[in-house]
Formats: sequence, C-alpha cells, structure tokens
Amino acid sequence: MSRVVVVTSGKGGVGKTTTSASFSTGLALKGYKVAVIDFDVGLRNLDLIMGCERRVVYDFVNVVQGEASLQQALIKDKRVPNLYILAASQTRDKDALTLEGVEKVIEDLKEAGFDYIICDSPAGIEKGAQLALYFADEALIVTNPEVSSVRDSDRILGILQAKSKRAERGDEPIVEHLVLTRYNPARVETGEMLSVEDVIDLLNVKLLGAIPESEDVLNASNAGSPVVLDENSAAAQAYNDVVDRFLGEEVEHRFLTVEKKGLFKKLFGK
Amino acid sequence: MNKVIDLKGSILSLTVLKLFSNDIEQTKQALEAKVSQAPDFFVGIPVVLEPEVENLDPTFLALLVELLHQKQMIPIGIRTQDEAIKEQANYAGLAVFTDEVKAKKRSKEKAEKTGVEEQGGLKTAMVINHSVRSGQQVYAKDRDLIVMGSVNPGAEIIADGNVHVYGAIRGKVFAGSQGETTSRIFAQKIDAELVCIAGLYQLSEDILPEYKTGFVEVSLMNEQLNFKLL
Repeated sequence: MSRVVVVTSGKGGVGKTTTSASFSTGLALKGYKVAVIDFDVGLRNLDLIMGCERRVVYDFVNVVQGEASLQQALIKDKRVPNLYILAASQTRDKDALTLEGVEKVIEDLKEAGFDYIICDSPAGIEKGAQLALYFADEALIVTNPEVSSVRDSDRILGILQAKSKRAERGDEPIVEHLVLTRYNPARVETGEMLSVEDVIDLLNVKLLGAIPESEDVLNASNAGSPVVLDENSAAAQAYNDVVDRFLGEEVEHRFLTVEKKGLFKKLFGK
Repeated sequence: MNKVIDLKGSILSLTVLKLFSNDIEQTKQALEAKVSQAPDFFVGIPVVLEPEVENLDPTFLALLVELLHQKQMIPIGIRTQDEAIKEQANYAGLAVFTDEVKAKKRSKEKAEKTGVEEQGGLKTAMVINHSVRSGQQVYAKDRDLIVMGSVNPGAEIIADGNVHVYGAIRGKVFAGSQGETTSRIFAQKIDAELVCIAGLYQLSEDILPEYKTGFVEVSLMNEQLNFKLL
C-alpha cells in the first residue's frame, strides 16, 4: 500500500528539500519505489539538489493542469533505481496548483505502484504548504534547534492536525516524525542551540533522527547529489538511520553528543 | 381610490412569558421580583403567555392578566394546545395563537440551539485532549477549560470559567474572560506569555521565576493576580 509522506517545517531554509532528497533516495536504496514531488512552485530547488535540473521537460504544474501526462513528467533518477522526481514549475506560482489536480496526481502515482510518495513542502503555511500536507499519511517535521524554527514547526503541526484530509474526515491522524537538522552538539553544550530534549519537550513529537551540522550537506547540494549518497559523511549516516527508523527498525540515536576525540584522532586530524 | 384599511401579515417580535407553575401566588411573587429589577423596562410591553403546565385553576388566567395590567404590561394573547386553557383565554380576552405558529417557532428554536451550543442546564468543562499549538486558539464559552497537554508559545486559551492545564502554559491564558473575578488558573507549570483573569493581566517578565517551576494556582485577590505554588 502506498504511503504519502509530507516533508514540512513552516520555516524556510531549515533543510526540507535536503531532507526530501536524502530521505527519498534512502528509501529507494532500500528497494522501494519512490516518487518525490516538489510542491515549491515558483521556487523550485529539489531538481537542483537531486541533480536533474537539466532534464526537466514537463513539471508538476503541467500534470496538474492536464498539459502533460504523469509518465512524461516523472524524471527517473540516474543513480538510484526506483526513484522518480516530479519537479516544480519555476515560471508559475502556487495558485497554479488545485486540490483536485494534486489529488489526481497522487492517486495516479498510487495506481502506478509507488510505495512512497514524498511531498516536499514549500515554506510558510499558505496554499502551497497546505496542499503539500493535505493528502499526507505521515509527516516529517524538519526543525533546526533554535526557537523560531521550533515555533514554526509547532504551527505547522497544528495545521497538520486541523487541515489535512485525515483531520477533516476524522480518520486516524497523520503520523508525525521529528527530524532535527543542523544539530551541533558542541553549540548545544555552550547554550547557543536548543538541545534535543528542549525541542521534544516543546513539540511533543517522537524524534526520528538528528542530522549533524556538516559542510558535506552544502557540498552535496552544490554537486547535485543527495548527501545520503556520500557514505563517509556523518550526515549521510544520520539520514540512513532516519530511513531505517522510519521503516520500523530500532536504531540507537547517534550524533547527539560531542564526539570525544581520541589520541589517534588528535594526532592525525580527522 | 385611497385605501382606508389594509390587512397584512407581519412577523413581530413579542415578549413571551413562560409559566412553569400553576400556583397563582407563586407566579405573582416571581413576576414581582422580576419586574422590580427593572420597572421601566416592562412598562407598556405586549406580552404573550405560554403555560408549560396543565390544570390551570379556572381563575388563574384572569388573575394573571389583572396582575400584568397592574404592572403596566399589556397581555395580548396566549399560546397553548390545551382546550381548557383556550376556553379560559376567551373569557380573559386573550387571543389564542395557533399551534402552527408554535410548531414553526419550536423547530426554529431547536435549529438555533443545535447550531450554537446546548443552552441552560449544567455546562461541563470543555476538554482538549492534546497540546494547543502555536497559532491555535481555544475558547470555552460559559464554561471551564481543561487542557490535557501543554499550551505552546503563540497559542491562546480562553475560558469564561476556570482554566486547568495538565502541562506547561507557554502561550497566553485567559480565565474569566467575561469578567468573572472568582475564576482561577491551575497549571503544571506557568511560563506564559501572558496570564489574565477577568481582564487583569501580567506579562511573562512580571511573573516571578519561582512560580515558573511547579504546579501553580493563579487567582485574583484585591484586583491583583495572586500566584501560589501548590
């Protein structure tokens, strides 16, 4: 059975698209058939991070408006089998999306046998973000360990619980997962950042994983390759843990405390 | 040709006096008590009687009409299905309003009631089984409010009665919002942006830090918010 997963945060720039890219790639690497949709019409980014920006012919809006078929618009990832990207349109705005159109696309993807449909939400709480979360079965709440991001996540959680299809129909509520990105244990210790405990205490959502702050993330984005594919990176390992936990495996949380550098590491650097 | 008269149907708003007792003395006392609260208000107002009891004493309506006249009200009719009461009404010079009107009015009343909230009777507290999140607002009208989770920053909870929160209040909290000064706030922890009872409020920075730690009761004392650790 297909599951629709929205990646959302309220606040911009916290790592939604990075998370969408790595999460969907991670699921595909596990053998699932995954489609990832960029809902950020007008500010499309996902295709850049997935490295397929030069292969976009038709986009999500074309499909919603019936100008192209889903098969024409789905871009097959070159690195990972079973991974497909539906890019956003850069030339339109969010009014180009309609609830009926989005529903049709999601239904068609389900019929096409996709196991997971990942919806990469735009920032904000307006139409684009509401459409991205409306059909969701599960939600990844991407949050940075700082107060404004946490508050915005709180806001979007309220909207998930009130304005999604599941909420409106009184079905089982959306399953919520917390993904804490840009986590830097050293800065938590000095009090510059909120700790995992602070964030969970406020949001009251189960932690799916903390992604350590790492320059690998930026490098990967610039290279157009999801960071999860960079096996040596701590961020990649953290995203792999996130995927495992999402699929129900018990994996101990990592990267939450400052790594004590041993003598060997001190002598030879990294 | 100019019209001399014209008969037209019209829907007027009238005061209905509901009667729940068939004891004329009791009714008389209740009426006098009511009128004495605002004597001017009742002068000259047309009144329709609506008995909710049966077996009215034969002289009941006549005595009541007499009393209403004394109080300068003008009884114009009665709304009833009871044949005996209809007969009495004839003698007392009251118009009888047909059932049809009543039925319509009833169904309308019912619709309004379900549309708003149940009125009258015991109003139990409104219970919210989860946390109230940023941007959400909860209002418990004419009743207490119980929140089983926390009230997060940027959220607002408002009750006309007391407020109980079994988590931390980090947003805004209003108790006794219609001015009920005996309303109180109870919370596992108060680190609120604003605490307000019956219009008197304190901001976060004015709340002493020791009250931000444990189970707290807030009440109003001499027009001041009074915090107490429980």
